[in-house]
Amino acid sequence: MGPITEGQRYIYRTQGICPPEIHFRIADGLLREVHFRGGGCPGNAQLVCRLLRDRSIEEVRPFLKDIPCQNHTSCPDQLDKALEAALNGALLPAHSFRLAADLWTKTRVALVGNLAGRLEVWEALKADFKEKKVEAVYCLGNQTNPSTDNGPLLQILRKDHKVTTILGEEDWRYARQFETGPQGKLNPKDKDYLESMAQVLSFHLGAKKGMVFYGTYIQDLPGFSDYEPFSLEMNMAGNLTRFMEDESVFPALEAMTPQFISGIVIFGQRKKWGHWQVGGVDFISVGPASDDDRLSWGLLTVANDHLTLEIQSPSGIKKGDHEK
Amino acid sequence: MAEAVKVLPQEIQELMEVREWDMRTREGVNRFRELKAKSLPSIALDEQLVYESLIPGQEELAQEVRRRWRVKNG
Repeated sequence: MGPITEGQRYIYRTQGICPPEIHFRIADGLLREVHFRGGGCPGNAQLVCRLLRDRSIEEVRPFLKDIPCQNHTSCPDQLDKALEAALNGALLPAHSFRLAADLWTKTRVALVGNLAGRLEVWEALKADFKEKKVEAVYCLGNQTNPSTDNGPLLQILRKDHKVTTILGEEDWRYARQFETGPQGKLNPKDKDYLESMAQVLSFHLGAKKGMVFYGTYIQDLPGFSDYEPFSLEMNMAGNLTRFMEDESVFPALEAMTPQFISGIVIFGQRKKWGHWQVGGVDFISVGPASDDDRLSWGLLTVANDHLTLEIQSPSGIKKGDHEK
Repeated sequence: MAEAVKVLPQEIQELMEVREWDMRTREGVNRFRELKAKSLPSIALDEQLVYESLIPGQEELAQEVRRRWRVKNG
């Protein structure tokens, strides 16, 4: 038996049935997985998904066709249409956001926002991380600034094994060369590094599961679905509460948090430090690493299931140390 | 909350058109914000937020639908 390939992932927007989307994966002519998202009969859908997993598409399609349920169609009928669209190229594979996972459970994590290509800021913060014994550093975007030479900072970040970088909106634009700037100065390794940065990071802090993302630009990525893992957290933090600016909707947020995967939701788009606890979830807004040359980073720790965020303000940048 | 609407008698169902939004989606959140709702679940009638958090009794909801229908249809 040959190796199992991951294949291509598809998202089909349905018509006339309860679930608004069908997510599935095709590899080597086999239906690797199927999920009916956003509604419908969960028990039946789960059974159908189990029965179809790893079956040949050619074999299953005759069973799906022409089953009526409502509006002259049904979940199996829509799945058949989805498979047909995927096979004839009318439905393109979905890519959506890049998700990375920090697999090792942490107890002390540093949060850094908006480095904006400034190596001297990073160097000034880094000394502090060592002193505070942080186990990992999560750098939320933006790591880059289109009007500066970002190469030196990116080289340092990509070589530091404690650092995980999360792509910010400007980084995303910069990587795709949407902005005019000196991106030509980046060497191929730095370009690859920028283009492969995670857009969502999942992690464990003590017994709590957390997620880190920059902001709402992720929802504009081709193939994004409201029903993917972590999409709900992004929608609630970004769209419902406007990154916790609108406290009047916190009762609605509280009603939605039981459906979250994450107990900690960290974002950077608001560009101000903040920490809220709503519905048993910790929401953390990460401020910029440097604001008028005042430095700051966040030390996130957990003890006895209690999460603490302490904003650290190390002494300023030493003039001349990294001036070019 | 959707259940409170679905179980209304047929004569009331015929007076109205029902639309349900899924708060997990951006479309649902946008609609929630347009209606200036604050909590869940919520029911709006004729673009007006009428019930929030509190699920109305069947009779109360039916009365409110009838009242609005009479205002609009003389």
